[in-house]
Amino acid sequence: MIERSAEAGLHAATPATNLVLLAGLVGVVLASPSVFVRLGTLGAVLLLAGWSGVPVGTFLRGLRFVLVFAAVLFVAQALSIREGTPLIDGFSRFTDVGLLAGAGMALRFLVVLSSSLLFVHVVDPDRLAGALIRCGIPYRYGYLLILSLRFVPFFRRELRVVREAQRVRGLRPSVRSLRGIRRAIRYTFVPVLVSGLMRVDSIALSMKGRCFGLYRCRTAPRPERLRSADGIALGSVALLAALAVLAARGGWT
Amino acid sequence: MSSNNRPAVDIVDLRVSYPDRDRPAIDGLTESIAEGEVVVITGPSGCGKSTVCRAIGGFIPEMIPAAVEGEILVLGDSVWATDSARIAQRVGYIQQDPDAQICTLHVEREVAFGPENLRLPLDEVGDRVDESLAAVGIDHLRHRETTDLSGGEKQRLAIASILAMRPRILLLDEPTANLDPDGAKSLFDLLARLREERGMTLIVVEHRIRPLLDMEPRVLVLDRGRLVRRRPRERIDPRDMGLRGGGESRHPVRSTADRLLVADRLAFGYDGPLFRELTFDVRRGETVGVIGPNGSGKTSLLRLIAGLAEPDAGRIELRDGAVTGFVFQHPHHQIFERTVLAELRVDGAEREPGDFARRLAEGRLDGLGGAAPLSLSLGEQRRLTLLTALRREPDLLLLDEPFIGQDRRNVDWIVGRIRGHCAAGGGVVLVSHDVALVEALADRVLYLGEAPRFGSPADVFAGLRDEGRTAFLPDFWGGAG
Repeated sequence: MIERSAEAGLHAATPATNLVLLAGLVGVVLASPSVFVRLGTLGAVLLLAGWSGVPVGTFLRGLRFVLVFAAVLFVAQALSIREGTPLIDGFSRFTDVGLLAGAGMALRFLVVLSSSLLFVHVVDPDRLAGALIRCGIPYRYGYLLILSLRFVPFFRRELRVVREAQRVRGLRPSVRSLRGIRRAIRYTFVPVLVSGLMRVDSIALSMKGRCFGLYRCRTAPRPERLRSADGIALGSVALLAALAVLAARGGWT
Repeated sequence: MSSNNRPAVDIVDLRVSYPDRDRPAIDGLTESIAEGEVVVITGPSGCGKSTVCRAIGGFIPEMIPAAVEGEILVLGDSVWATDSARIAQRVGYIQQDPDAQICTLHVEREVAFGPENLRLPLDEVGDRVDESLAAVGIDHLRHRETTDLSGGEKQRLAIASILAMRPRILLLDEPTANLDPDGAKSLFDLLARLREERGMTLIVVEHRIRPLLDMEPRVLVLDRGRLVRRRPRERIDPRDMGLRGGGESRHPVRSTADRLLVADRLAFGYDGPLFRELTFDVRRGETVGVIGPNGSGKTSLLRLIAGLAEPDAGRIELRDGAVTGFVFQHPHHQIFERTVLAELRVDGAEREPGDFARRLAEGRLDGLGGAAPLSLSLGEQRRLTLLTALRREPDLLLLDEPFIGQDRRNVDWIVGRIRGHCAAGGGVVLVSHDVALVEALADRVLYLGEAPRFGSPADVFAGLRDEGRTAFLPDFWGGAG
């Protein structure tokens, strides 16, 4: 489960502000060719995460595969570009242009994923659904999001239980043959699917019993007040956008 | 509050048939339930109890496809000819698993969910949330995330979110099945209060009716979709009606000194400790019953014994070469094959000719060898998973809540297997919220909680009585105590 410190940093901002922040960070990093701006954007994401009380360990654990993939991207890109001044020229050739291009691509990837992760950490799905409904998005889609999130820990738990059930029966489905793979899928997928369908049935009855879907509209939760956290979040986006414009005009790489 | 004579629910010659089933789930049921009355519906697994609830709630056939005949009137209006919003404001349906009926991530939002669907003004939504949370006594939880609540708190939340629809009738389908004795007792107290203060009509599907007797319920016993017995409130005797909670006979202790399992100063936890300094053992020929509140680590203890988890401290040792068999709480987690026979074969070859036929007969599954296991009733699935666990000829049998959702006949069958296994020199660790059954079956009891206890049933229950934990005493549920 995601840890939240209730009112710290971006937690206190409205979901709409956080959505604008996410769009702004991603927009800046995609639009600006400057490695300097991308690095600054990544720094901003990390600062905002720290300010919001997101535990560093949790944040890095969530990004561990992203970091590995970013490193692979960096090396692949740096190796594939031959232009520029060689910095290392032996078995592999690294040039200044290649290194900058690799760093730029890896940073872009890191910013997109880390800002999305930050969004997931700080935005309450219930509040987000309320904000989306107030923006005119059909409420069924808002609840689709909430229900999907309710199912994530459920499926994780069910998968663990089913794997343990296989172990106590002494079943270790091999995935070395097609038949083994089919068996492994059946032994794992079917029990988890059955659990999922049972859960869906129960939730559907529960929602129906409380008139979900009866009318085209439903009462939207009270709009949220803007707070200083909203100002800081929106100010950060504005600052980064200004930096990107300056970088473009000044020709910074 | 005494009931008046106005029918809250009028069921007239109801027949419900599910597609692809040989016989109707409900076959000609006629019954009238007065406003303010408490009615307990009981009977063996598959007798149609839940179907009756779902039909009264208007879920059949709209959400659950079935052919229906007859009539159900709720406060004078036909369920099938009335706007579903109106029915939902008259009848609230609470399901067995509290976790499976929560739709949102926060307590307050969950209670507001129904009134918001009715497009009520925000102020009225707020009033209903306040009133419902106060009615079930969880006002202090209003800002909590739903995932952080205990089972009992979740069930209260489910009731609060239904009360926010302001129904006059509550349908509760085995509402205590997943609750620990404290949670179940507090739920029964809450129901009694709702009835007293609001004059609500309560229709409760329950196997254990002893704690409901103070509410003077009328009991309807169904079998194969028919009403087979109807008991007025003054003539209820659970033993006479074949219900659980009628008391089980104790069996003589015949365990040996030969220890199958030793746990010494065991500690285990996830974010925080579940238990620490836990010491106990299991001998050949004995059943150790494990009881305790939800979240006290009962299932985790079984996982430790089965080697599925490692202790944080202390040691847990099985006797050399001892084999464990583990029956999980939900049978479908342990069902992997397409047919019952394949399921019995999946982890081993036939030991002798006729072995499978004998095992099927032993599990009262004869004739079902070719059936898909997941199409079996819950009772049949439970028997199948116990048979597959026993097929490994375990020394130590680990049972996690094997009695949930089981009728008297299945309980008797499971009890027979446990006693048979002990008589053959095996050991059993039985986790159950059903303290009356634990008291009847266990040679020793392990109570997990703030102050763990391990010893003879008499000693452990005497200690719990001294602590005032009445819901953990067998006599509260109808046991011998």
